[in-house]
Amino acid sequence: MPWYDRLLGLLRRGRLPSEIEREISFHLAERTDDLVAQGMSRRDAMLEARRRFGSPSFPRQRTYRTSGVVWLESVLADLRYATRSLRRSPGFATVAIVSLGLGIGANTAIFSLYNALVLRALPVSNPQELVQVTFGDGRTNLTNPLWEELREQQDVLTGVFAFGRASFNLTDGGEVRYASGHWVSGGFFPVLGVRPMLGRLLVNSDDYRGCPAVAVVSYGFWQREFGGAAEGVGGSLLLNGSPFTVVGVVDPAFSGLDVGTATDVYAPICTWPIVYPGSDRLDNRSAWFLKAMGRPARGLSADQAGARLATLSSGIFGATVPQDWNAEGQARYREYTLAVRAAPNGVSQLREQYRTALLVLLAVVGIVLLIACGNVANLLLARATRRQHEVAIRRAIGSGRGRLVRLLVTESLLLSLVSAIVAIGFARWASAFLVRMLSTGGDMWLNLNLDAKVLGFTMAVATLTGLLFGLAPAWRATGVAPQAALRTAGREAADRRGRFAIGKVLVIGQVAMSLSLVVGAGLLIGTLTRLHALDPGFNRDGVLIVSVNTRNVGYSREESRLTNLGLLARLRALGGVRSASAAVIIPISGSSWNNDVEVDGYQPTDRQDALVWFNTMSDGYFTTLQTPLLAGRDFDSRDAPGSVQVAVINETMARRFFAEPRPLGRLFRVVPISGEGETYEVIGVVTDTKYGSIGEATLPIAYFPLSQTGFEGSSLQFLIRTDGAPTALIPAVASLIGEVHPRISVRFSTLEDVVAASLTRPRVLAVLSGFFGGVALLLATIGLYGTLSYRVTSRRNEIGVRLALGAARTRVLGMVLGEVGRLALAGIAIGVIGALASTRLLSTFLFGVKATDPLTLALSATVLAVVAVVAGALPAWRAARLDPVETLRGE
Amino acid sequence: MARQKNDILQGTLALLVLRTLEARPRLHGYALTSHIQRVSDDLLRVEEGSLYPALHRMEQEGWLRSEWGITEKNREARFYSLTAAGKKQLREERESWKRLTKGVDRVLRHA
Repeated sequence: MPWYDRLLGLLRRGRLPSEIEREISFHLAERTDDLVAQGMSRRDAMLEARRRFGSPSFPRQRTYRTSGVVWLESVLADLRYATRSLRRSPGFATVAIVSLGLGIGANTAIFSLYNALVLRALPVSNPQELVQVTFGDGRTNLTNPLWEELREQQDVLTGVFAFGRASFNLTDGGEVRYASGHWVSGGFFPVLGVRPMLGRLLVNSDDYRGCPAVAVVSYGFWQREFGGAAEGVGGSLLLNGSPFTVVGVVDPAFSGLDVGTATDVYAPICTWPIVYPGSDRLDNRSAWFLKAMGRPARGLSADQAGARLATLSSGIFGATVPQDWNAEGQARYREYTLAVRAAPNGVSQLREQYRTALLVLLAVVGIVLLIACGNVANLLLARATRRQHEVAIRRAIGSGRGRLVRLLVTESLLLSLVSAIVAIGFARWASAFLVRMLSTGGDMWLNLNLDAKVLGFTMAVATLTGLLFGLAPAWRATGVAPQAALRTAGREAADRRGRFAIGKVLVIGQVAMSLSLVVGAGLLIGTLTRLHALDPGFNRDGVLIVSVNTRNVGYSREESRLTNLGLLARLRALGGVRSASAAVIIPISGSSWNNDVEVDGYQPTDRQDALVWFNTMSDGYFTTLQTPLLAGRDFDSRDAPGSVQVAVINETMARRFFAEPRPLGRLFRVVPISGEGETYEVIGVVTDTKYGSIGEATLPIAYFPLSQTGFEGSSLQFLIRTDGAPTALIPAVASLIGEVHPRISVRFSTLEDVVAASLTRPRVLAVLSGFFGGVALLLATIGLYGTLSYRVTSRRNEIGVRLALGAARTRVLGMVLGEVGRLALAGIAIGVIGALASTRLLSTFLFGVKATDPLTLALSATVLAVVAVVAGALPAWRAARLDPVETLRGE
Repeated sequence: MARQKNDILQGTLALLVLRTLEARPRLHGYALTSHIQRVSDDLLRVEEGSLYPALHRMEQEGWLRSEWGITEKNREARFYSLTAAGKKQLREERESWKRLTKGVDRVLRHA
């Protein structure tokens, strides 16, 4: 019967009995009439009619059941029964609910992260309409001239806006404090349909060249920085030392378009020159810092809008060709095309980085939950055996098997649904913990609030779980013939073998699945240790990084140069400083700078082969980082602005471009996309070092002296090597810089932290997979132990007889351990196959180890085998220690 | 027990009801009972208590439809008629009944 009939039946519930009663009373009346016509008295006739009809309540019940009302009613009864029976065994219920709650909770936690990062649409009006303007090849960054041209020339997006990631220093000198922000065009808030909570948001009239310094802040920022006071609006805010007027507070639900980052400050793009005085960024045709989004015009699909935009491309790019690029570069630029792609959930670096990683983790916690299900199923099996008597009675008095299965499954579902509630509570804590783990800076933020998707996911997982661990035990429990069960008079029925068979399958599955997890964890942990152990070519320990910015002071170039040189000298003189150096780029920090290089006699096979990565630094850099100089010399006083331009190169560059390990005195030319190429003479060769990331293939690197390229920059990093803890130097360095000028901004970090931050993803994967691998092992151990204990208990008599007949205790021990061994071996065999099939999915996350690494596989199998022996030892020992007299007396 | 021979063989009640309604559309439960009894010369007697559940079940199977109406004695009664599905069901049950009786008959004669 379809469900709506049932529902109607429920609604009809009041009506139905009366209909049947009416029908029956009609029948009785007719019969009475006939009997009276045959000569009976009316009173006797009525009695006779009732007698012939039989029990009138009986048909009513029968009819009632077919209506389906009973179905729903009996579900409620089952639920009451289940609640009562669980309450009667609180120990079992607690163990089951806690273990399932944690299992489901881990799934919910990872899923809610995935949901927040990948699935959740932006909290703006009609997010599904939003598209992002991209290049034909998928790149997304635009220059400001390109954006302005796009805004003027396009006619396919009704609303279009641009935004870029920004980071504003809130302090005026001293240690920096950054706020994440967006540079936004005037259309940003109107097109998104975001509303102000207070004051007003930025509009088109705020966005023009030479615009005043106004900004909008997030709700959280307004709370933190202005104490949530209404006067905050209209107040002043210092961004990189320039005062801005706060004109409004954004709706608390909106946190910017960069999912994963809490965006706190929104400033118009046109205020760039106010924040960075003297910068030509707004007219720079090579500064890619904006992204553009919009909504297609009414009636246009995203694809149609993209196609139309592609036809406009040549005009837009033709109008913004970077004049300083060389001919080849300009020709490439003119060939660029525009496209659009759906962007209902904004843009996110974090998303690109973690999307797949989260799916891997979701699979991991899914498997952990399956293993936990196995244990609960085992508990239920044991419980079902104890309840066989009850089930037998129910069957004997006429309960159908299906009906009883339903009763028992209701109990499992109740268990899993209660676990789901525990899970949601646990997941809130766990996902917040995960976010802290992923966060390297302070501004990571994800909307982890419960929504329909997370709730639906949790409920679906819980229901599935309940069916999974509940169905098999329920089916088995109800399968016993009533007579057999009743004959044993309340004790366990005879067929323990069958119960052991299901237990065996469960345990083998658990061993197999935990092996897969342990292998995966082994590979990911191996990756992390290899990345850690990898020699990056420098010594990351004991180095303090001091990032200094003198822009707010307003130095002239010469003053800036003298200040930087003076700072370097004073830092070197500081107590506890072994050596110090200044550099433009810190390795592994994510900054990079590269260009094509030409060397006479070297013919690059493709463009990539001509690329060299650069850095500029003072003397003492290699000493400070402990990168060995293999030949030649470090920079020194000879390398002055007027003298021959020199460079130190690494081994890879020497080999690739010069085909000799020590090309001292040889020349190379840097061929930039704009401006004149310069020629440099190689004066030294250093060991290879990692440049952008620890796991990369070694890149060719050239180092230039600051003494020739200029110390005039307003932003410079100082690297200080000390024998003690680098952070212990911070107070001394801070006060030293404060003495030079109080408006100098400074930020401290350590090289160790920079390298560690670059390894966040492998670390998160290793730690979590290791943790869950451990949990899986523990669960499998419990499963093995439980199954074997049960086995030994049910074989007590047999073992007792064996012992009484003179079997050696070691034989008994061996017998039980043999059983463990067979189970474990079967599980391990299946697990190895499973691992080989599934770890391939991990290959993008692995470094220095293949997905099918035989050593990891062998080690993991050994771990499982040891675990199996440990789990089996206690039951085996107990079996061997059985007192034959005692067991036989019990019979 | 003398009544036993009048009991309707299990499973044939539906056949009897369907056949009766085929011949006489729109009957109420009581008329069905008396009709079966009369046509069978009192050989068959419908157990009244089980007739109504059977009617409801058959209605839910879609073989019958029912409506409330007024009898000539001005009583409210529920009238049952055959549906297309009911006619099909009748054909099937009739076939299987014939097979059964033929089989039983042969066994009685030749066994």
